[in-house]
Amino acid sequence: MTLILEFLTATSLIGGTFFIMVAAVGLLRLPDVLCRSHAVAKAMTLGIILMFVGLYLHLSQAESGTGLKIVLAIFFQLLTIPVSSHLLCQLAWEKGLPRWREKPVDEDPRIGR
Amino acid sequence: MNMVISICFAALTLAIVCALVRLRRGPSVIDRILAFDLIATCVVGMVVLLSVKWNTPMYLESILIVSLLGFFTTVAFVFYLYGDKSKRTETKRSNELEGGES
Repeated sequence: MTLILEFLTATSLIGGTFFIMVAAVGLLRLPDVLCRSHAVAKAMTLGIILMFVGLYLHLSQAESGTGLKIVLAIFFQLLTIPVSSHLLCQLAWEKGLPRWREKPVDEDPRIGR
Repeated sequence: MNMVISICFAALTLAIVCALVRLRRGPSVIDRILAFDLIATCVVGMVVLLSVKWNTPMYLESILIVSLLGFFTTVAFVFYLYGDKSKRTETKRSNELEGGES
């Protein structure tokens, strides 16, 4: 049982960091403010929630009474990351920043290198 | 388990480096705010990893505080920039209205 829980913890932590890495690569590579905001909001929310799930699975072996705080942290992340991303997108839309209006990624020679 | 935590730390550090590159070269302020948001979440993830490594629930409060601090910083930046823009449009609109009336 402990081995299974430890395996699940390791899988959740690796998955969470993988999704945060995906968010960072998207922030670095995508061509536009709105695209970058899309990458950061969704991938980062999923990644941090997976990491919290891993922490809960790890702490539920030894200690008890920590579940409520972790649920509260998941709730805050789930509430705040989309809200801040939405505010940023609205700001970018208001300011009329230049948007990406070129060919799709498969046909663009600069990106599909 | 120790190896998993080391790998996760390396990946989060790499993510922070990517965000720092975007912070350095981002063409607009909004890119920089996004990069800051990613860095704040990476710090939260690092605290989670430390909490798993040391097997203690004591850092949950600091997780809550750091995540809320990142959110409030983003909101403060956005409202600062928004206020700038809306004030300008307000004055422009009032100027147009006065010009139309006169």
